[in-house]
Amino acid sequence: MSASVRPKPYLEPQYCKGCLRCIEACPRDCITPGSAINPATGLVPVELHLENCNGCTLCLQACPEPYGLRLETDRAGLEGEFVLEDPAKLFGEKCVPNHSEGDLPDDRRALPDCEPLVLKGTYATAIGALLAGCRHVFGYPITPSTEGAELMARILPKLNGHFVHAVSEVAAVNMMYGAGGAGLPCMTFTSSPGFSLMLEGVSYMIGAEVPGVFVNMMRGGPGLGNIAPEQTDIKLACRGLGHGNTHAIVLTPSTPQEMLDLAIDAFALAFRYRNPVILLGDGYLGQMTGKVRLPASMIRPGLPAWAVWGDRAHRHNLISSIALAEADLEDHNEHLNRKYAAITACEQRVDCYRCRDAEVLVVACNTPARMAKGAVETARENGVKAGLFRPITLWPFPIDALAEIMPGVRRIVVVEAGPGQLEDELRLALSHANIAPPPIDHVRRCGGNLPAQDEILATLLAREEVLS
Amino acid sequence: MPATDLAPAPEAPRAPLTKKALTADHPTWCPGCGDFAVLASFYKVLEKLNYPQEKIVTFAGIGCSSRFPYFVNTHGGHYIHGRALPFAAGISLGRDDLHVFVFGGDGDGFSIGGNHLVHTARKNPRLTYVIMDNSVYGLTKKQTSPTSPLGFKSKTDPWGAFDQPINPMRTLINSGATFVARSHATQVNHMVEMMLRASQHDGFSVVEILSECVEFYPGAFDNSIPRKGGSFQTIELKKHDGTPEDEERHDPTDELAAFKLALEPWPARFGVYYENKARKTKNALEQDLIATTREKTKHATDLELLSKTFARMR
Repeated sequence: MSASVRPKPYLEPQYCKGCLRCIEACPRDCITPGSAINPATGLVPVELHLENCNGCTLCLQACPEPYGLRLETDRAGLEGEFVLEDPAKLFGEKCVPNHSEGDLPDDRRALPDCEPLVLKGTYATAIGALLAGCRHVFGYPITPSTEGAELMARILPKLNGHFVHAVSEVAAVNMMYGAGGAGLPCMTFTSSPGFSLMLEGVSYMIGAEVPGVFVNMMRGGPGLGNIAPEQTDIKLACRGLGHGNTHAIVLTPSTPQEMLDLAIDAFALAFRYRNPVILLGDGYLGQMTGKVRLPASMIRPGLPAWAVWGDRAHRHNLISSIALAEADLEDHNEHLNRKYAAITACEQRVDCYRCRDAEVLVVACNTPARMAKGAVETARENGVKAGLFRPITLWPFPIDALAEIMPGVRRIVVVEAGPGQLEDELRLALSHANIAPPPIDHVRRCGGNLPAQDEILATLLAREEVLS
Repeated sequence: MPATDLAPAPEAPRAPLTKKALTADHPTWCPGCGDFAVLASFYKVLEKLNYPQEKIVTFAGIGCSSRFPYFVNTHGGHYIHGRALPFAAGISLGRDDLHVFVFGGDGDGFSIGGNHLVHTARKNPRLTYVIMDNSVYGLTKKQTSPTSPLGFKSKTDPWGAFDQPINPMRTLINSGATFVARSHATQVNHMVEMMLRASQHDGFSVVEILSECVEFYPGAFDNSIPRKGGSFQTIELKKHDGTPEDEERHDPTDELAAFKLALEPWPARFGVYYENKARKTKNALEQDLIATTREKTKHATDLELLSKTFARMR
């Protein structure tokens, strides 16, 4: 259509608020700010001078008033005196996209077969997160977990995602609160001191039921400590996620393959329960390289009904952790307690190695579980009926599986890179389950040292000699 | 606790402070790091100040530059990332007789500690903050720092940084620091002069020192190193001698002029940007408050005050 034929814009002055956006949009300077107050509205509408107008309609697109600027062709039938009426009656319902009330489901897509990759733990987690549909990563550099975030920074822009190097861990966790509140799978990579700093936000996320995945590559503490592996955030992740009645599923991988698999599961769990999930690795696990097989499918995430959709149907969705009335807050906490109970009932995970007939049970997770496995094998060769009980969820502790094994167990050895936080979790779980524990020994190392296989073996064999 | 209670008995005059006495651990920085020059200059500054060795505190947060306290044989501390300033302010206010020096990098000062920097400047405790700015996170091996220039390629910005970098001088003047200066790690004499002036300032004094990271951002400051073809332009300060040249010189008490200097294009100029001697320190204000309240209570003892309070609660 040539410029001379295209319809020109037409202004209903009563609907113009004089915001001047059309003036900025007009490429031919056809519109000027008005000079006279409109008596019907008390506002100053713009004035059109259409000699130069080529009917490009850019001003119509710029106009925020649905009925302010329109095309001349729409003018018919509206001549005469202006009567203030509901514009919906004159021009029909305004067009607004409207979604249904339900969740938009995840979309699962098959991946082609490929050779296993050789990846370091933090990279494996990052790739797992990408396959789970995570496109929003927030973080602050901290050894030994920065590489995961760096990989995300390289990849995410290509996948229409965002990596934000936040001003601090405090900023990162609050960005996660925002992205998670919008219903988007999001995550952060951090290590012990950074995780400490994030706990305030974690408590708020649990209170407001916002999902998010925290990858914490535990390092030596307390305070600044060092950058070698330790397992001393177990208490923090299982018992101390900020203030208030808080719990989150704590996953403990022990190989790069598990770092990837559990990262994928972490997102599913976070959204299933609307709760943060902690992926608790240790410093070596982040840096350790291993063979990693990719899953058969990847996920394009949907959008849950509770999230921020940005449309009219969902505008009542409010993400908040405040409940000022005592009764409301008690109800909310009871709701959270029911959720924690459901998690405890359904999500316990464990890897039992030669536990069926075990008399000496070794309990270990993360990297120390690898040494413990070797020690168990050697102990078996030496005639000691040893088994390895490796919790994959530390909270909830896999007590149901343990209760089944316990009748045959004469002795427990807890192996950990820390001063007894894993043993505390074990003792607490046994106590809640009313199981009287057999003698519990331990192999503990601190400061970034890991229990060596020989040390564990010596402990496994030592008491056996005394007993026999 | 008043400082006098802790002061030891008068002793014989001691030998002046030397570099030998001040040297502690061997620096762990990479060969060629600009921070070595800052350390050497700091020894010189301490020699010149000649404070009693036990009255000096060297303090830092986290970062390569924050290894500083290990290398200086004074009281010291190595603290949380970004939180060195509140800790140091605590020392300064608690022990008015000590001289507190805080060292840190650009990430420590402007990213995670940015909030603390602004509020320490607002409160104006008596301490000296030296920011060794290398425009990159070196300790964690090359991520974007708040002073990295636009387009800087790092591991967290592999496509080039696009967040607006912070202008340290503008930020510091704006937040109300009472002494703001800028120097360069390749200019030892200038650095010594700036740190000396800063440590003699009564209040919160900050010196930003451009200190190159040879490992992760080599050549960052080449255009202010004359040996590498750049120009090192210093700020001429007003001498108030009435000559016509003096009109052109910078008046460090003029906040607006300092602001204009801070807005000059990179690498801008080096020297004292701003100095405010009129504002009282937090230390002095606290002492004033204590004096006023003590006067009101007619210097009552702790026990008298407590029993009075309890009597009222009965």
